[in-house]
Amino acid sequence: MRARKRVVAMLLAGGQGSRLKGLTKKIAKPAVPFGGKYRIIDFALSNATNSDIRDIGVLTQYKPFLLNTHLGNGAAWDYDRNSGGLRVLPPFATEEGGRWYEGTANAIYENIDFLDDLAPEYVLILSGDHIYKMNYNELLDYHKEKNSACTIAVMEVPWEEASRFGILNTDKDNKIVEFDEKPENPKNNLASMGIYMFNWSTLREFLIKDAEDKDSDHDFGKNVLPAILNEGYDMYAWKFDGYWKDVGTVKSYWEANLDLLNDNNLNLYDKKERIFTKAKNLPPHFIANGAVVKKALINEACRVYGTVKNSVLFSSVIIEEGAEVVNSVILSNVVIKKGAKVYNAVINEDCIIDEKQEIGSPDDKNVYLVDDEGICVD
Amino acid sequence: MQKCIGVIIGGKSSNQYGSLCETRPAYMLPYGGRYRLIDFTLSNLANNDFSNVILYGGRNIRSTLDHVGNGAPWELNRRRSGLVIFPAVVGPDGMNSNQLETLNETMTFYEEAKEDYLYVVDPMLIDKEDLTDTYDRFIEEDYDVLLFYTNKEDGLGKHIGEKKLIFNSQGELVNIGTNLGTQEKFSLLTKVGFIKKEVFINLVKSSIEKGDAKDLTEAIANNCSRLKIGLHEEKENVEIIRGLRSFYDSNMKLLETQFYDDIFYKNGVLLTKSKDEPSTLYSDESKVSNSLIANGCIIEGQVENSIIFRGVKIGKGAIIKNSILFQKTEIESDAVIINTITDKYVTVKSGVSIVGSQNLPYVIAKNLVVEK
Repeated sequence: MRARKRVVAMLLAGGQGSRLKGLTKKIAKPAVPFGGKYRIIDFALSNATNSDIRDIGVLTQYKPFLLNTHLGNGAAWDYDRNSGGLRVLPPFATEEGGRWYEGTANAIYENIDFLDDLAPEYVLILSGDHIYKMNYNELLDYHKEKNSACTIAVMEVPWEEASRFGILNTDKDNKIVEFDEKPENPKNNLASMGIYMFNWSTLREFLIKDAEDKDSDHDFGKNVLPAILNEGYDMYAWKFDGYWKDVGTVKSYWEANLDLLNDNNLNLYDKKERIFTKAKNLPPHFIANGAVVKKALINEACRVYGTVKNSVLFSSVIIEEGAEVVNSVILSNVVIKKGAKVYNAVINEDCIIDEKQEIGSPDDKNVYLVDDEGICVD
Repeated sequence: MQKCIGVIIGGKSSNQYGSLCETRPAYMLPYGGRYRLIDFTLSNLANNDFSNVILYGGRNIRSTLDHVGNGAPWELNRRRSGLVIFPAVVGPDGMNSNQLETLNETMTFYEEAKEDYLYVVDPMLIDKEDLTDTYDRFIEEDYDVLLFYTNKEDGLGKHIGEKKLIFNSQGELVNIGTNLGTQEKFSLLTKVGFIKKEVFINLVKSSIEKGDAKDLTEAIANNCSRLKIGLHEEKENVEIIRGLRSFYDSNMKLLETQFYDDIFYKNGVLLTKSKDEPSTLYSDESKVSNSLIANGCIIEGQVENSIIFRGVKIGKGAIIKNSILFQKTEIESDAVIINTITDKYVTVKSGVSIVGSQNLPYVIAKNLVVEK
């Protein structure tokens, strides 16, 4: 077992994602369907698999049933191993009572036993709610090369958006000199992606210190990372320049799905870096005589009799004759009845859009979310 | 079906499929956009709760090992029992054994198995069936063999050469023969069906001793009068693939909604090895009608009355009609493909036209690059 690459990934998948509204009513944000056949968490999990990371802990907390069902024993990502592999790590009770994970750092602190058991050299912290493809080995190589205590993946974001992110100020050598958590006047536009590579020994020490600090929020960005920096450890920023999206709101969820229709660096068709997911094993989709399909992603078991333009259809969707779907994201098992018109919308799983019903309009700037409780505007 | 072993006898070599069976046994023929013919048999066994399954794989077994493997997609990768593949048996003289000899070679397996019954199937059948009632009847009536048949009208002689049940005037089975197309309607034996293990072992051994039969059906026919034989008529859609034409027709039939529903949704889902293909991408110029399209394709051209398998690419201005394109076929821009089957990894270069006949599709062999 010594021959193993000694990185353990810890994937934070407890997110509530309340800004996704109806999409997260029953499920945790990482389990929200994405891109026609995936769930958001598939991207981080597949990245880990494609980076040959052998052990991964998935930290769950909020409405985990569907997420756990999806993860299963990890077989879909090759994580069904004899030892290690994928472990789901929910909060648990001890002699002192039950404890919910109070922050990102606390979630890792509560699972020190899990990490000690695997005794890694490096721990990679991931978030389960981002859409991106990344080879974590490049981050690891950089981390080793710089002899860094902690390396943070960063991205250049548009200046006007920089104040929404944790901004890192670095020197010429990419060494981090200062943290700005959501600054009003950012000094640069390098935003933290919430992906951290740590030396486990250093992280372990600071997690214990942080847990003892009663004033701490037990959060990586707010507490642990600045603490490590303040103690004089070397920390570096590693630049990522691919596609990356935090699908935090219904609108950004809608955008990220439609981004797949355009060139976007995400290349889902690259077989060397496949995004894996739990297969549904459904038959191919059927496009009928008279159907019009232009610029669209369509999945297994769909039946299209009407018109689909600039849209993403998940599996088992039925678009009846004369129905029109434009600029929209239609989740699994939705039926769009005859003559209905759907523009700029996200339709949640199992919804039925009635005959001749109209949602949105062609020249609308709003995005509509339709679920079993009705329609809301984002 | 815990007391019953599923026995799939396939792998008979065949030259009925053009180049399609040069690299694979006939039961491994791709079907319906993302499946192989064997998926029907394996899914049917899995959906009927068989946990001990034997596949006589025949020759050219590489694709079988790749696709069927340890049976995981059908949940047949068990610690107790599960799926076993028996490769072809070659005699000391280098000749392939006949079916009975092959069965006899593996007799120890049956003698040692804890199960008392066998369910013997032909993987060239496309059917999905709930076997519960039939199995119960087989046990309750204490039959030695329960044969499965379907009534076929065959004015066109599509089923010449198939096994045929012969009845006397009282409607009792007297023999199993071969259909020569002399009757408009006949009873086609689809599979051996259920057989008691002891009866099976005795039949195989005694037939080999006497040397009067080459396969199991012949052995049963020879002993018709001594065995207690029951019959089960299959009333649902049963397709039999015996050559290029029936293979093509049966694929095309999937464009009928009723057949699609029966085949894919009735009596349990059809399972296959998943490839994690992404969604299929249609471009602004694509024009598709009456077609079945699997995941992972990129479609920029025109597709009509066709079955498109996983990961196929169709370039701008290309026209595909009445065709079946196997996995990873690439049709470059402005190429024309009509009445054609392309095997896996075929590339048709830009501007090339391939037009097969209405009656018999043209077949392009695996890995071929077709240039002007």
